Amino acid sequence: MNSNLADAAGEGPPEAAPAARTGTAGTLLVLIRRELWEHRALWIAPLVVAALMVCGAVVAGLKYHLTHGDMSGEDRPGGMAMFAVMQGAASMPLSVVSLIVVGFYLLDCLYAERKDRSILFWKSLPVSDGKTVVSKLLVALLVVPLGVFALGLLLSLLFTVIWEVNAALGRVPPIPGWDMLGWLKAEIALLACLIVGVLWYAPYAGYLLLVSAWARRTPFLWAILPPVVAQIVEHFTFDTHYVRDLLVYRTYGIWPTLFGHMHLGRGRAFALSSALDQLHLRAALGDIDLWLGVALAAALVFAAARIRRYRDDT
Amino acid sequence: MTAVIEARGLAKAYGATHALDGVSFSVEPGRIVGLIGPNGAGKTTALKAILGLTPFTGELQVLGLDPRTRRDELMREVCFMADVAVLPRWLRVSQALQVVGGVHPRFDRARATDFLRRTDIRMESRVRELSKGMVTQLHLALILAIDARLLVLDEPTLGLDLLYRRKFYDTLLNDYFDKERTILLTTHQVEEVENLFTDVIFINHGRVALSSSVEELSSHYQQLTVAAEAAPTARALKPFYEREVFGRVAMLFEGRSAAELRGFGELRTPSIADLFVAKMQGTPST
Repeated sequence: MNSNLADAAGEGPPEAAPAARTGTAGTLLVLIRRELWEHRALWIAPLVVAALMVCGAVVAGLKYHLTHGDMSGEDRPGGMAMFAVMQGAASMPLSVVSLIVVGFYLLDCLYAERKDRSILFWKSLPVSDGKTVVSKLLVALLVVPLGVFALGLLLSLLFTVIWEVNAALGRVPPIPGWDMLGWLKAEIALLACLIVGVLWYAPYAGYLLLVSAWARRTPFLWAILPPVVAQIVEHFTFDTHYVRDLLVYRTYGIWPTLFGHMHLGRGRAFALSSALDQLHLRAALGDIDLWLGVALAAALVFAAARIRRYRDDT
Repeated sequence: MTAVIEARGLAKAYGATHALDGVSFSVEPGRIVGLIGPNGAGKTTALKAILGLTPFTGELQVLGLDPRTRRDELMREVCFMADVAVLPRWLRVSQALQVVGGVHPRFDRARATDFLRRTDIRMESRVRELSKGMVTQLHLALILAIDARLLVLDEPTLGLDLLYRRKFYDTLLNDYFDKERTILLTTHQVEEVENLFTDVIFINHGRVALSSSVEELSSHYQQLTVAAEAAPTARALKPFYEREVFGRVAMLFEGRSAAELRGFGELRTPSIADLFVAKMQGTPST
């Protein structure tokens, strides 16, 4: 955008100074930035949780002591793997918070613009409905998850520093030798979990976008109602629970496939460095249900874009 | 030059209500067209059809494109501004410039910045912190900086005070309009902007009641004001509308020459507002 200013200031004829970055990728970047401006909870909420966790770690370091015995013996993890464990632990609360925030974001993003009629402004710009909806999907499934991953990485780094400070003060045993390869493997394993999770939950994202584009009021209720009503109706008419089973399966189904019967029992509690070898990544990514879900998500997003194109209630 | 807008038999119903009931008109380039009608007459629906915001039946070409199928291309050449409340309230002025500049190939940011510098609007303000008049100025700044061929304005000055309204139309005329551009405008305040229009389209009950250039209006319509005693003789020439003002009778004639009427009393070209009122009479509205 600075280039715009420069071009215009360069006394060139206005026709010769078209915005440089109006390709699809450039437009999507601008749209994604706009989402982060509008829906600030998307990045504020994880940051707040992260800050709380750092405070917690500092306080815990001051209050509690660990005896040396805890980290000795054969079960002793490699330092880098330890790092990854901390990252995993740090990512958990961040992921939960982000899931909630992203859920509300998806439900709100296509509804609020109609409610406050700002859609008329957005639609006055040469941006297709498809691009707009895809930008929102990218925020939910790419930008926020990667942000959370990066934040988890940063947190684990801070935790390590806090741990080492405490170790230097003799409060906890020092972290044993760093294991670069183990750490890299653990990072890749975490990233793989993230990718599988995003793909597996994509239909939920598509569903929320569709409800958001469609609902004339109370999108939250419209999102909750169909699955609940379907379960109740099914229960009382057929006395079966296929809907419930399906929802449970779409919520947990991929994780047993990905983790298999991973033995994280005693003695290997910290062996996350070998987690990558244990992940059934090929089985998870080859899972037909995973890709059926992705196809369904694509259909739902397409439907949301179509509805946004023609819904006329402003 | 081909028409900027060519509409043939536009129709659209909301349930049993016919918002558009076979509307046909065309708009030539370099014109400022007033789309005028009472509330619920179908003005906004017509604009929405032109902007590809609503489905409809009939034939419509805007800049040679069908808004139903080629909206994305069309919006590079068309700008529109619905009434003031549509800029997102969370948006900062600087962000507005970045967003429009980032997605619009014909946006000249320096021009918008330059315009904003002459107002009280600060770059870091959010839309929700601005007064209604300032929001309109901001929106106008964005629009002035876009090199579009068609500008569609739907009640752009609704709820603004007279100073802002006057400034708005002055800016539009002086800084924006030229022979390459076309403006399509709906407004309730017809009296205020009637000198702006080069063409008018009256629309009522989803139909076009009148479509004419302003020059043609003056040769086609006459307003004759006569004393009450002379009214019956003048009435023989079949005015399509009359009303009494201070004991005199104002009559509107269609298709009569000035020479035919001059003998009866005071003769002038009716204002667009008078003509509008006359045309809407006998077709009960609301």
